[in-house]
Amino acid sequence: MSRKRLIIWIVAASLLAIGTTACSIGGDDETTTVTVSETTERGTSSGKTVKIIASVPPTDHGWLGAISKDAQAAADQHDDVDFELLQAADADSQAQQIEQAIAQKPDVLVVLPQDGAALTPVAQKAERAGIRVVNVDRLFTAPDAATATVLGDNYQIGVLAANYIADELKCNGNVVEIQGLAGISVTTDRTKGFTDTLKKKCPGGGVKIVASQPGDFNPDKGLTVMENILQAQDDIDAVYTHDDDMAQGVVQAIRNANRDDEMFLTGVGGSQDAMKQIEEGGLYRATFLYNPNMAGTAVNMARLIGLGEGFSELVPPEVPRQLVVPAAVVTKENVNEYEKYAFN
Amino acid sequence: MTGPAPAEQAAPAFSDRLKALRIQEYGLAAVVVLLFVAGSILKPETFPTWDNVRNMLTQASVVGVLAIGMTFVIATAGIDLSVGSMVAAAGVFGGILIGTDGTSSLIFILGTIAFATFLGTVNATAIAYARIVPFIATLAMFSIARGLALLLNDKLPVSLLDLNGGSFGDPRPFSLLWFGNGRIFGIPVSVYVFVAITIAGWIVLNRTRYGRYVVSVGGNREAARIAGVPVRRIIFSVYVMSGLLAGVASVLLCARLGSASPVSGNLYELDAIGAVVIGGTSLAGGRATIVGTFLGVLTFALIFSLMTQLNLSTEVQQVTKGLIVLAAVLLQRSDSRY
Repeated sequence: MSRKRLIIWIVAASLLAIGTTACSIGGDDETTTVTVSETTERGTSSGKTVKIIASVPPTDHGWLGAISKDAQAAADQHDDVDFELLQAADADSQAQQIEQAIAQKPDVLVVLPQDGAALTPVAQKAERAGIRVVNVDRLFTAPDAATATVLGDNYQIGVLAANYIADELKCNGNVVEIQGLAGISVTTDRTKGFTDTLKKKCPGGGVKIVASQPGDFNPDKGLTVMENILQAQDDIDAVYTHDDDMAQGVVQAIRNANRDDEMFLTGVGGSQDAMKQIEEGGLYRATFLYNPNMAGTAVNMARLIGLGEGFSELVPPEVPRQLVVPAAVVTKENVNEYEKYAFN
Repeated sequence: MTGPAPAEQAAPAFSDRLKALRIQEYGLAAVVVLLFVAGSILKPETFPTWDNVRNMLTQASVVGVLAIGMTFVIATAGIDLSVGSMVAAAGVFGGILIGTDGTSSLIFILGTIAFATFLGTVNATAIAYARIVPFIATLAMFSIARGLALLLNDKLPVSLLDLNGGSFGDPRPFSLLWFGNGRIFGIPVSVYVFVAITIAGWIVLNRTRYGRYVVSVGGNREAARIAGVPVRRIIFSVYVMSGLLAGVASVLLCARLGSASPVSGNLYELDAIGAVVIGGTSLAGGRATIVGTFLGVLTFALIFSLMTQLNLSTEVQQVTKGLIVLAAVLLQRSDSRY
């Protein structure tokens, strides 16, 4: 059999595998904290039910799992919300899924797209059909594709990481960056925020990025990539990783090499495991919170849009067009305040 | 030498093919040497060191163990697309078996290997007895095993750090982490495991009747059947073996990672199949070489290590890796039957 057919099969196989992971949604919400402000409770008396359909990537990663749980938990808080959560393995199937969702005529769609650009046309179609769209985290590429947008700030995460590491190293030392998946905006922004800020913060170039390699948000890739970097670099002071899950593999590589006294490491996300290690002290010094409660925020905004209301504390009668959930630095000093947001 | 010699019956030009294989192996050995020399020139201080060689061999051992099993599967003209998923599922299964308070490495290791063998047996039954095409059967398992890996522990990784006797540093002999990080005479335990399995694979393939049967089934199934080879049982056995070795690979990976992650092993089947094929084993079956597979695994490990050490960007790495694979195949190709 030919190599070409083999490759086609393997691609097909990967798609199928990703697809099957999309089948289940975590049922218990005990670890997810949803902050529904009292002001949003007013609408319950209006008697109208808002139908919301959310479409998100599958929960095969800690953070994405938290996104699904958080959206569901926010919807469960409201009696006047009729909520359905859909998961799609890739951009194509997500587009199909949204097409089908449009046919069900919900009031509002909440979409965390696999790929913002690829899902823009179908979101525009929904908007044109009179269904309001709330865009979460990964941006659509046209302004008329969404009524409102809730997003984290990946560039800001890079900025916070650069500031933290530059301060810790007093602008003098070697840094390794273990990136996420190459070619998506999350990774690009986390890298750009980091390098831009390092340049500004330490203009003399005192902090050198000696290696920068993708670990694909995957612990075993993080492990092997870090093993190789440890071979090549005999003087590392800090490691900036793009993700808490992946960082566990990086941590293990450093420990296996018995070099945990030489350097410290930071993560991104805010997993329970990372927060536990930060609290214990040692190699894992900080993580930069990329709060999955933006999904709950999006569902609450979707509800207000459906009810035709705004945030009572803001002047306009509609919800804001864009809401940026701030990133936060979590260190040993303040980890207690943030533990309630941790996901596993 | 008892019984018929079906390999020779199945393939009239067997000795010619054998010669071609040898040349191919030498060609690939040259590629390995070339890559090592290139690394030594580009990174003279860190690449040609014993520490780095040890690191590359350790990394190669996981995919290496899979590739040995894959060699037998491909020798029968089959394919196993599910090994990466089985690595993940088996590790998570072993992890939940020991629970939170368990500290028994042996239970983890046996549980992991047993579960992978079970999944391999499902493949084997589907292919040998339900007569499902290997592609489809193992494609289904690719999906099922990945799903199970996520399902078994609610999508969470299982920490295995308790399985090293309590502290970091030198793990206790025969504890799980010792298999990933321990050393005997300065050589990592996982490398011994990989080399032992490679040698065993070589002996079984080249020096036993079973090995000749495997190759003959891939070369010409009908001729093999007429010659009295228990074709169905042979096919059954290679998928069970592939599953078992996926379990061993899972133990080696989990031991290094200190946890069993449901997303681990992603697309390892690609690396394993790639190593087997650039080694010279024919995807059409009937021609297999363990030495070639071993060299193929080393080639991939060298490429990966060299490129990350050079800190090349992902896109450059991907293009370079593809080009090196093409060049390796061209360099070693001895026949011009295309």
